[in-house]
Amino acid sequence: MDTPSIDRRVFVKAGGLALVSLGLDPLFVTRAAYALRREGGPANRKKTLVCVFQRGAVDGLNMIVPHGDAHYYRERPRIAIPRPGATDGAIDLDGHFGLHPALGPLEPFYRSGALAVIQAVGSPDTTRSHFDAQDYMETGTPGVKSTRDGWLNRHLAHSAEHRETPFRGVAVGPRLPRALRGASPALAIEDLRAFGLRGGDQARDRLTAAFEELYAGASTGLVASSSEEAFEALRLLKRIDPKAYAPAFGAEYPTTPFGRSMQQIAQLIKADLGVEIAFADVSGWDTHVNQGASSGQLATRLADLGRTLAAFAQDLGERLANVVVLTMSEFGRTVAENGNRGTDHGRATAMMVLGGGTRGGRVLGRWPTLDPGRRFEGRDLAVTTDFRDLFGEVLVRHLGTTTLGAVFPGHTADVERWVGVMG
Amino acid sequence: MRQLTWIIVAWSMAGLGSPLRAQLPADSGERARAIHVLHRLAYGPRPAEVDRVVAMGVEAYIAQQLDPARIDDGVLEARLADFVVLQTDTRTLAALLRGAQDERREQQRQQPDTGDASRRPDRTPPGANARTLRRRLGEFQAVAVVRAVVSERQLHEVMVDFWTNHFNVFLGKGPERALMPGYIERTIRPRALGRFEDLLIATAQSPAMLVYLDNAQSVQPGATPPRLERMRARLSQPRMGGRRPGGRGAEMRTRADSMLRRLEDRVPKGLNENYARELLELHTLGVDGGYTQDDVQGVARILTGWSVGDPFRSPEFVFNDWAHDRTAKTALGVAFPAGGGMEEGLELLRMLASHPSTARHMSRKLCARFVSDDPPPGCVDTAAAAWERSDGAIREVLAAIFRAPEFWPPEYRDVKVKTPLEFVASAVRAVGGTPDASPALARVVAHLGQPLYLEPAPTGYPESQESWVNASALLERLNIAMALGGQRLPGVSVALDPVIPRLDDPAALAAAVNTAVLAGRGSPSTLRVIAERVAAVRDAARAHALAIGLALGSPEFQRQ
Repeated sequence: MDTPSIDRRVFVKAGGLALVSLGLDPLFVTRAAYALRREGGPANRKKTLVCVFQRGAVDGLNMIVPHGDAHYYRERPRIAIPRPGATDGAIDLDGHFGLHPALGPLEPFYRSGALAVIQAVGSPDTTRSHFDAQDYMETGTPGVKSTRDGWLNRHLAHSAEHRETPFRGVAVGPRLPRALRGASPALAIEDLRAFGLRGGDQARDRLTAAFEELYAGASTGLVASSSEEAFEALRLLKRIDPKAYAPAFGAEYPTTPFGRSMQQIAQLIKADLGVEIAFADVSGWDTHVNQGASSGQLATRLADLGRTLAAFAQDLGERLANVVVLTMSEFGRTVAENGNRGTDHGRATAMMVLGGGTRGGRVLGRWPTLDPGRRFEGRDLAVTTDFRDLFGEVLVRHLGTTTLGAVFPGHTADVERWVGVMG
Repeated sequence: MRQLTWIIVAWSMAGLGSPLRAQLPADSGERARAIHVLHRLAYGPRPAEVDRVVAMGVEAYIAQQLDPARIDDGVLEARLADFVVLQTDTRTLAALLRGAQDERREQQRQQPDTGDASRRPDRTPPGANARTLRRRLGEFQAVAVVRAVVSERQLHEVMVDFWTNHFNVFLGKGPERALMPGYIERTIRPRALGRFEDLLIATAQSPAMLVYLDNAQSVQPGATPPRLERMRARLSQPRMGGRRPGGRGAEMRTRADSMLRRLEDRVPKGLNENYARELLELHTLGVDGGYTQDDVQGVARILTGWSVGDPFRSPEFVFNDWAHDRTAKTALGVAFPAGGGMEEGLELLRMLASHPSTARHMSRKLCARFVSDDPPPGCVDTAAAAWERSDGAIREVLAAIFRAPEFWPPEYRDVKVKTPLEFVASAVRAVGGTPDASPALARVVAHLGQPLYLEPAPTGYPESQESWVNASALLERLNIAMALGGQRLPGVSVALDPVIPRLDDPAALAAAVNTAVLAGRGSPSTLRVIAERVAAVRDAARAHALAIGLALGSPEFQRQ
């Protein structure tokens, strides 16, 4: 954990005022909200937050279509999603917004109230660089480049509520994403079936035992604690037999990298390994050229997203009550289509919250409209919800975080700004 | 008495191998010092190297490493010919990058408008330019590992790694794929043991840094590039408007208007403080170095106009007069009078390089690298004094650290956990392996959590172990150790028999790997476990591989 340097840095940045917000942590509002959750029985069961990062900046306007906004059709003559009711039209949500037709698998969850959509979410930092914006969204400190740890790791480091298990923070992929890096241990798992020492079953067990003995005898400090976590994780995984996994309730995950990632996360959750934070990437959203409309490149990516999330929710069954999926993307795309039937880097985008105590069936967030006068720099959908307020609300109301000030240093938590996506 | 027992144990466990070596426990004087120096100034000992350093004298080895130009590095130089990237200039790489972008755009254009979920955009094979560029960058990552393993100028390689990390640039941002090789080869590498001021100025003027920390985008608010002015002037002339509405003239005008709008969109609009802030916080003074937000702004204004021609076409440093803030400024209590131009930026960098806070910050960081994650204050004082005395001559500062009493005591030996690069390079060196020219070994380093040139944060990879020691990375180390012991680690050719004899007696084999792989640092419990496990394997080749794999994966080998 690197808070001292962050504190100093924020101090420099804001001339000392920011320390006030840090000093007040944990805020009484967060505490009050937390206390409310704690009283109910289910809050004591293990909760999981699954973050899905749509890398490359998803076009939030074609994902969650503002079909009631006339500017939408004016600005996107070739790539707009037709109005609900038309052929290949959007799936109407609330008379003003609709789902991209490729997200059809998610419609039942919206209707049942398990899925909420938040429009016009983004960062206070106006960079249009993928790299900078992803970095800011993962460190949780927009505009501050040298933050070393991620917001999810700071959450883990500061909430000592739960028993330490090696699976508390898990990312599916070859390396930990920025959001999960930091002082608190977290695992990066590329493939559950291959996690651990390689070799045939018997050789593998013998080797694992050998190394466990080597490390038990001779080591102290971080190497020792990491090795304990590693061998503990292997023991737990052996119990669940990743090779034999079959999704429940007839759920069918697409055979895409994202589909495989989410299936593994479901498996870990269902094995009760104590997963509190899970993280998966889904890429391919940087649609500058030929992005398509109801079908085409973006539709293909959205179909993967929708089918995977639906399969995940189905697979979890009633466990979904304890799990929230939060989608995010570094920024949105231009309101107007460009000369290549695509869209360029913009500002605000749409995010989704699925499962758990989501107060779904609604499109949330203040809609700034696509009126050119209300756009950012006259061109992009303006940000009306700071991503930290959305992430913060989910952390507090789903995971019971009491230390938002430490998770988002320099940002004052304020219930007034929360969109009310959860209970 | 206890020491005598230890010597007897060491003697009996050593079995074969060099009897002379076996008589000396790991912490006996010169030999222990040689091992320590090879762990800190180099990427670990190669077979027989500890003997070599003891024979030439530890002091002589340090002096030699501090003067790399006088070390013959013929073996490495012969290898470097395999790496085309080292003979490719930045403009050529930039052309490849442009070509790759065009190819990608063309592929997206041709993608059918179907909703077929099995066709994903990233599954189309890359074009010719993209493939060549990828190969060059793979070579570039590979060559870093090859140098760490093969070069005789080990301290120089360690320092190149240190500065690459200190002046971090992220390969994944915009045009950096074209800029990175030139940045490392021509900005960092020649100055790694030179004067800090030269290195600082060189990085400040490098296209890679200017792009990475956005100074290339930082302009005096309201300033307009001459190109945009010219275009505006042209458009305001009536002849382009066309007399007949809707005619060809009007169409041209619309097109010109949209070009103008696109250019206006792209033109930077004002001050960007990113570089200024990291320059003070990370590159020079340090976060406690005594500067304010006003100083950050002053520094940013002084450096307005420090930019890059066109990062994709002519990626060279330029000073854009039009973008420079010509008014008077103050930074760190020093007044910079109006009209200072580019010279005031150089003056600022010289001032920062010789600032006492910089001496302190850099000394601390160097001591963290060479002595301990939490460096002893005495070492930092010694280094800072040498820094002040020598005006930031890196070689002098290092020499002072290696002479400092804090560098040597046993409590500072074996306390640093190896970074991923240090682990991989030292493992390959320990068994006398030779890396090939493929990026396979660099991928192994990446798998351990620190892919080369791919740290997004300007801090670079942290100096402290917390960032790279974790459960999944540790398991990966064990897999790498076993693969290397089995002579099947991708990217390395190795013949283990000449380094570690195949001994039938398990205790003797354990003692032999202790000597060869662990430089005698294996604990009795580690040697016992290795001997027991080896005893359970009948096949001699597999026992041999297992012994070496366990030693490379042992807790002792993770430290240096």
